[in-house]
Amino acid sequence: MDKRKQFQISFVLSRVLNSGIIMSIEKNEKEIKGLEKFIGKATGLPYVSVFNSYTGALHGALYGQDLVHGTSTHLPDITEQEDNFLAWLGITSVGGNEDNVPFQRIRVNWDNIHNFESLMEEHSTLLLDLTDLGFGPCGIIATNQELIWKKSERLKIFGAFDLRTMWTQEESNYELQPGVQFNYRISPLVAACVKLSLLRRGEHNED
Amino acid sequence: MRTDFIKKPLDFPSESMVNESLAYFGGKAILPTDNRKTNFPYITKEDVMQMLVSIQHEPENVVGEFSEKYNKYVGANFSIPTASGTSSLHLALVGVGVEPGDEVIIPNFTFIATAQAVIAAKAIPVFTDVDPDTFCMDAAQVESLITKRTKVVMPVHVHGLPANLPMLQEICLKHNLKLVEDASHAHSASIDGKVCGSIGDAAGQSLMADKNFPVGGEGGISFFKKEEYYERAIKFLEESGIDYRMSWIAAAFGISQLERLPYYDEVRARNAQYLSDALNETKLFEPPKVPSGYKHSYNMYRIKLHRENVGLEDLEDFKVKEAIQQLIMEEGVFAREWQNRPIPGHLPFQNKKGFGNGYPFTLADEERKYEMEDYPTTLSMFRNTLTICRELRSPIEYERIQSYALAFKKIDQNPEAIREVVSKMDSSIKLPYEKDARLG
Repeated sequence: MDKRKQFQISFVLSRVLNSGIIMSIEKNEKEIKGLEKFIGKATGLPYVSVFNSYTGALHGALYGQDLVHGTSTHLPDITEQEDNFLAWLGITSVGGNEDNVPFQRIRVNWDNIHNFESLMEEHSTLLLDLTDLGFGPCGIIATNQELIWKKSERLKIFGAFDLRTMWTQEESNYELQPGVQFNYRISPLVAACVKLSLLRRGEHNED
Repeated sequence: MRTDFIKKPLDFPSESMVNESLAYFGGKAILPTDNRKTNFPYITKEDVMQMLVSIQHEPENVVGEFSEKYNKYVGANFSIPTASGTSSLHLALVGVGVEPGDEVIIPNFTFIATAQAVIAAKAIPVFTDVDPDTFCMDAAQVESLITKRTKVVMPVHVHGLPANLPMLQEICLKHNLKLVEDASHAHSASIDGKVCGSIGDAAGQSLMADKNFPVGGEGGISFFKKEEYYERAIKFLEESGIDYRMSWIAAAFGISQLERLPYYDEVRARNAQYLSDALNETKLFEPPKVPSGYKHSYNMYRIKLHRENVGLEDLEDFKVKEAIQQLIMEEGVFAREWQNRPIPGHLPFQNKKGFGNGYPFTLADEERKYEMEDYPTTLSMFRNTLTICRELRSPIEYERIQSYALAFKKIDQNPEAIREVVSKMDSSIKLPYEKDARLG
């Protein structure tokens, strides 16, 4: 592992462990919420949803915009993994122009963590891949559209709706009623590390 | 720094406590209100040190070390660590060859992830009722549900009691089906010494924070009997692009927790035995039944209620259950419902939206009706049982399990109090499965 990256991870993880964070769902949901809050502030997109992988977040971003099995979409510069994943979801990847791109994708790493927001373009929905920070797979959706956020949360077992009350399913709005659901919930430990990394913005490196 | 350290010890309980007035009616509770918390999971210096050791290694090596050690512990042949129990079940199903449109037979009583994993595999879930004694899949119903599209039978070791795998293995052999275990509640549980997860053709298991064996927050693991199944699952991950990887942080925590799992298992078994012995002295409560040769891991502990033994048979069963729940909660024991509706009665299976536009339900030869009434044993279970969830999971203090036992005894000798609580109930009180569906 790159020494600089290892130092950053060590520093962040030591801080997280010393804060007494453990893994209970109820106790540490605030770690995930804290990460969501930070991303909301940093991006100016108030509705934020964290996932345990980039593909999970990609699924959420698509599902939130009704891009589901049997539909098609355009992702510019689509990677092989993204293309495979869309195909598995039953979504056809098609060509197009910048006007019909459903969201912007940004990979956050230790080189751009201090100013990843500067990479943002004029999109109402942003998809962040924070896996390169080194704590484990992590993807985040940020959007200014509440309905996209609600739908993407409904895709999760233990999404925001479930955790609030431990009650689920009874949703009067048919659009929001769940279909297939995946456990895309991130470990609060990983979320805490990502959050702290973002808060510190890489100031404590050996340089 | 936030801490989980328990600052106040429990007093030693006394048998005389059962003779005091019920807390519901103003008496002194068995467990004081400021000392009812169950701390779980326990984090020790070994966990912190392991994390600091693991950070020196490549993430994939940390996850690999965890997977290898736990695989050996379970006695499985091949494994894939995953991000969650749901994803582990999905991979187990794909690994044994489930393809779009296949049918997978599962119990109706389980966590919703069991059924959603079937949908994730683009297959159609077919539900059985449960056995009235074990609450696991009713193996006797399986053969009648087999069609030409059936590929897999996936029992769930509900609450940690292994399902009737010997009978299910025979059925699978006879009909050329694969047996996949949902071992998410059953860490260290076994049948005749064979650990759950290693018995079927494949298995999926949750390792999230609420399980007997937790990794760091969220995680799961798939087990495979044959290399062919393992390789198929690996190939699926490559071809689908889906990222189901476990975080190395979660894995590091799993490495150190695994060292202590046998100790926690023993303490939990001891506590469960203590409570079962106490409940066997009551008329109203019946502890879980464990078939000979089966080892229950007691991730949860479901108690049957026998209102007829205390002269309450004239009252409706679910109201008696509700009253007992209220009374025991006031004594400081969180005995409650875990699930309240058959999974086929949940909206994802009523609506059949699936991945969108009804897929994969649209692949079925004929539309399956998911009717709650098809599962009468489960419905009766919801009306006549209460569950202790996390209270037995950690190495709780001996005095705490003594207190739980006393609380049940206290309720047992006050059937008229139960009658009184029922008499005060609002007439509009709903059956458990008529209320909003619960995830847990």
